[in-house]
This record gives sequence, structure tokens and C-alpha cells, in this order.
Amino acid sequence: MADEFIKGLGIFTAAGLGWMILAGWYRTPSFESQEQLVSPVSLGDSATMFDTLGVMLMDAFFWFTIIGALTFWVVIPVIRQAREKLQERAQ
Amino acid sequence: MTDENTSTDDVRADGSGIVAPDDETPTWRERKERTQGLSQLTYEYFERSRREDQDLRQESDYVERDVLAFPTWPHEIIRNLAIASFFVGMLLFLSATLPPHIGDPANPSSTPAIILPDWYLYWSFGLLKLGPLNPELSILGGQKLMSDRMYGVLANVVVVGFIAIVPFLNKGSARRPVEQPFWAAIGVGGVIFALTISVYSAKNLLPMNVNLAFDLTFLLPIVGGFITWAVLKTMREGYMYDLNRRYYRLRPPK
Repeated sequence: MADEFIKGLGIFTAAGLGWMILAGWYRTPSFESQEQLVSPVSLGDSATMFDTLGVMLMDAFFWFTIIGALTFWVVIPVIRQAREKLQERAQ
Repeated sequence: MTDENTSTDDVRADGSGIVAPDDETPTWRERKERTQGLSQLTYEYFERSRREDQDLRQESDYVERDVLAFPTWPHEIIRNLAIASFFVGMLLFLSATLPPHIGDPANPSSTPAIILPDWYLYWSFGLLKLGPLNPELSILGGQKLMSDRMYGVLANVVVVGFIAIVPFLNKGSARRPVEQPFWAAIGVGGVIFALTISVYSAKNLLPMNVNLAFDLTFLLPIVGGFITWAVLKTMREGYMYDLNRRYYRLRPPK
């Protein structure tokens, strides 16, 4: 169980850090604004391929943070418990 | 000190015999049986360092102390180096990757609408606003003895002075709040007062009646302290029962 927890926590913090940095570039108009990290993405005309890649990577990090942590903290333990229960019932 | 000599009054260097035997303390056999994953790793690390510590103590001619601890080098130093490296690396990483934030320069000719000190000084700022407590003395013909500003500064002295003398007032050896409900209540009241006086320091921004806010600033700490005292007093009976049961299990009455 502890191993699963640290895997989930590692994904949550590492991917969350990556998302935070990219959102600091693409979803933060100013560090004095009321909407930091969550304001809508606005890519100007001068956006290069790297900016497009960065926005894509930002979304990938975001969903990896949520789905990865949920997988190790919820889905895998649930599957294991269900399997144990099924085996108990079979015996 | 030799290994053959195992009389009872012999000083044991491995730390055994210091911890009181307890039903809940696992034996070394039980610990060795935890042969999986993290618990096994922890056991091996602990056992190896304990063994190293024991060997070092037996080889040296240093005076034996019955203190359970790890040597500073390498255990503590390596752990601290790891933690320090992590935070330095995080600083470098964030400063290298996040976009630089350089705000506009401050304009010295315009006063901002909201003036507040840093958040950890709100309590002191709130103490400067205790004007309503400054008494108007009839002996002075309804005048105040000192200005409200002076009164606020002296309030800071009083609060800091009270915090400074608390260790001299309570020299008890209590380790838990439940052992001394009264002093725990004083502490909780102080913490709540720090919060309420901090909120009161921004009274012009509060969406409530200023007089009510002023009353709550002093009433909430008393109420919170009283609730703490009552709860801890109630808990103490159960706590003492548990403590006594443990004690009599270790030393049964004759």
C-alpha cells in the first residue's frame, strides 16, 4: 500500500510541478492578476511551434496529475480489494 | 567491557534495557519477522546503524552514556545534505523555468488605498487600534492620560511582556495539553486572540459592524479558552485512567 501511495504522490507532485510552470507561462497574464494559472489560454500571432507544444504538454501534465494520482490511490487499491473479496467468496 | 560479562549491573552499550518492557513493544524476533518491503529495509538500516553505533562505543575509550541516538556523521549529515540539495535544486529549477516577474517600480508620490504591514505583523497593527479601551479619566476632567497612539504602542509592550513571562509563570513538566488544562486554555486563548486582533487590524475592510468586531476580538479568545479548558478537564479522567493502567501493568501492586 505504501508503495502505491508514494507512486501516486510522486506523479501528483512531479506532474503538478510541470503543469504549474507551463501554466505560469501560458495561463497567467500577470503575477499581480486575480486569475493566475487558470485564465484562458491566449496564444498570440507570434506563437511558435514550441508554444503550441507547450500548451499541449500543459494539458497533458494536468490530466496526468489527476488521472495518475487517482489510478494509484483509488483504482489499483479498489481492484486489489475486489480481487481479494472475490477469492474469499470463491473459497 | 567484554561480551562474556553479562551480569545485571553491567552497562549495556546497545541501548537495550533503557526502554521499559511493555506489552505493546515488539520483540526483536517480531521485528525480524517483518520481512517485506519498506519495513524490512527500515529494519535493516536501523539494525546496521545500531550495530555500528555499538561497535564504535565498545571500541572507543569514551565515557559510556546511556543516550539513544544516531551519530551526527554520517546519518544526520547525509539526511540534511539531501534535504538541502532538494530545496536548492527546487529554487534553481523554479527560477530557471518560470517566467520572470518584474513589477512596476513603486510610485513614492501616491499613497496606496490599502495600507497594511506584512501578514505576520497584523496582530501588532491591530494593537495600535485599541483606542476605545483608552479610558477617559474624570480626575483629568474627562481627558485621556495618554494619546491613543501611545496607548497602542504600550499595548504591544504589555502583550510581548506577557508572552515573555509565561515560561516563568508555568515551569511545569507537562508534555500534553491534557495534563494542564488551565495553561492549555491560556495558550489556545492566546492563539485565538492573535487571530482576532489580526482580523481587527483590517477593521475598515471588515464587512461587519466595527463595534461588534471589537467586542468579538476580546470575547472569542475567552470563549475559546473556556471551551478548551472544559474539554481538557473532561478528557483528563480518561487519560489518567489509561496512564494508571499502564503503570500498574508495569509495576503490579503487591
